[in-house]
Amino acid sequence: MIRVRALRKVYRVGDEAIHALRGVDLDIGTNEMVAVMGASGSGKSTLMNIIGCLDQPTEGSYELDGQRVSHMSEAALALVRNEKIGFVFQSFELLARQTALENVELPLVYSREAGLTGGERTRRALQALERVKLSDRVTHRPSQLSGGQKQRVAIARAILNHPAILMADEPTGNLDSVTTREVMGIFQQLHAEGQTVLIVTHENEVAAFCQRVIRLRDGLVLSDLPIAEDAAGHHQG
Amino acid sequence: MNFSPYFYSQAIKLAMSQIWANRKRSLLTALGIIVGVASTTSVIAALSGLKANVLTEFESFGANRLYVFPDRPDDKPRSMYPRDKIRIKPWEVREIQASCPSLRAITPITEFGVSVASDEKELEGITVVGMWPDWHEAENRRVIAGRMFNTIDERSARQVCLLNEAAIDELRLPAEAVGSHILLDGRRFLVVGIVETLQSRMFGDGGNAAEIFIPFALAMKLQSSDIFIRITALATRTEVSEEARSEITQTMRRIRGIHPGDSDTFQVVAIDQYIQQFKAMAAGITAIAGGIVGISLLVGGIGIMNIMLVSVSERTREIGLRKAVGATPGAIMMQFLLEAMALCLAGGLVGVLIGKLLAIGMTLIPGASLQHADVPLWAVLLSFAFSAVVGLGFGFFPALKAARLDPIEALRHE
Ligand SMILES: Nc1ncnc2c1ncn2[C@@H]1O[C@H](COP(=O)(O)OP(=O)(O)OP(=O)(O)O)[C@@H](O)[C@H]1O
Ligand SMILES: [Mg+2]
Repeated sequence: MIRVRALRKVYRVGDEAIHALRGVDLDIGTNEMVAVMGASGSGKSTLMNIIGCLDQPTEGSYELDGQRVSHMSEAALALVRNEKIGFVFQSFELLARQTALENVELPLVYSREAGLTGGERTRRALQALERVKLSDRVTHRPSQLSGGQKQRVAIARAILNHPAILMADEPTGNLDSVTTREVMGIFQQLHAEGQTVLIVTHENEVAAFCQRVIRLRDGLVLSDLPIAEDAAGHHQG
Repeated sequence: MNFSPYFYSQAIKLAMSQIWANRKRSLLTALGIIVGVASTTSVIAALSGLKANVLTEFESFGANRLYVFPDRPDDKPRSMYPRDKIRIKPWEVREIQASCPSLRAITPITEFGVSVASDEKELEGITVVGMWPDWHEAENRRVIAGRMFNTIDERSARQVCLLNEAAIDELRLPAEAVGSHILLDGRRFLVVGIVETLQSRMFGDGGNAAEIFIPFALAMKLQSSDIFIRITALATRTEVSEEARSEITQTMRRIRGIHPGDSDTFQVVAIDQYIQQFKAMAAGITAIAGGIVGISLLVGGIGIMNIMLVSVSERTREIGLRKAVGATPGAIMMQFLLEAMALCLAGGLVGVLIGKLLAIGMTLIPGASLQHADVPLWAVLLSFAFSAVVGLGFGFFPALKAARLDPIEALRHE
């Protein structure tokens, strides 16, 4: 599903070169649920942005769903994001003036799929909202929703186009522990339905919902273990 | 770069909701365009109203009509042009008639004062007009009773005359005046027809003056000396008015033996020439109004650009999100261009509506000759086209800025 080789990312700030990723190799298979952890500045977001096709690596190769996406044009990347990737952000990023349903429909505005009828769009969005258990909040606006509900709308939006991978960069960063469990429950259920999930988190509690944990340090993969071994190792460490 | 109909419908919906959500700001921003469009459309409305009035007046007058007057050139001493050289002679009129194919009708006209008497009344110093039968066509004056003049009247210098209703009144003739006789300087004339009264709103006071018409040949006989002749002619069509004018000019120069470089000793005036001059003037004013609107649209456009830049920076995160869910740079660009155009078109719409109201207001001004003032369709369409172009032009840079935003940085924007 995801195949990353010798991935490097260098940011240039003035004369200084910041090596955010220094040669990362990574494989993620279909229907895995993976947590990415590591200290602040270890390169988690940088890696996510490249895997999510929002950014290009400085060096190395990246294949998504059998397609080489490193060094694609910006417009081509936008299309890949639209069809293969679902993003969930820490701060939800819902459009304030639109209803939950309209927010969920947003990716279809940029879809290449021809001849989608209004009815079909609504049907898909309603189905996505149902999968995140928000069928009763369809016409609510973000201001009328709780934090957990907002994040579930964002998840519904991310899974609308049945992406190859659902990615979340600290999706529970703005939530309390109760709503964190509520949201992670949704991720877990989607995973159970066959969805591949990749989550960046600082919290062991969140990682505990995943099967596999990748730890980064200074732009390198420090460890890549099943959750049970990672948890054991972490206790030892 | 092709987007789905759904993309366009959503982009337009979004543009509208943006304008509505910031309606005060939008109104202020679009003010330049509103004022520009409203002022031009109302100026154009006034002009077109005036034009409609003047042109119908000219047309009713006969757009294909031409006049020839004697005219002394003022670039040489008077002594070089004695009266006799300047005066139009009957044979000259016949020469023009024979050599100008673009003319349909031509008549000399001579006016002079006589004493007129009927059985009931005697009047001094009444103007009598002498003309050829072609006059009916050339001046577009028909008879409402009796008959028109014919060539026999002219050739055999019959003592017949035509009157208008005012003349019948003044001479206390019976209402059925055809068949009565009147005396002109002691000669007996048979009234053969009644000509309709001249109707003109703008030029002259035609209707109320007494008019008496006699054959041209007789008019020449009745006058002693110093006969003043002018010519009225009709071109076959309005389109050849100018041609007819130059035919007459060339004929007159030829028969008068005027050397190349010397001035005409006559003047040929075509009504169409006045119409063209008026149209050119109206077009000139329209162009000036267009220039003014150009400037105000430029000012308005800068306002639009400014507000669009503000909008882009306010909505940086939204742009980042849209890119993250698959918006291409082209899609973002298109969306902001549509928004700028929608803003300008909304301004244009308000401007056109204000212009329309002003035009309605103009029609209510008494005596302003603006009762036909209206914003023509082309001005409405042009206003919208201009507004759209301003939106495109001044929305381009902000839209480009939005399109080029890096999605990661945009999503990090506070
Ligand atoms: N646009 C950028 N320009 C310059 N340096 C950057 C940029 N983005 C990230 N970096 C640097 O790259 C390194 C990795 O950053 P990254 O955001 O990937 O860390 P992170 O693991 O997500 O941290 P956090 O847990 O705080 O989110 C950091 O040193 C950061 O300062
Ligand atoms: Mg991060």
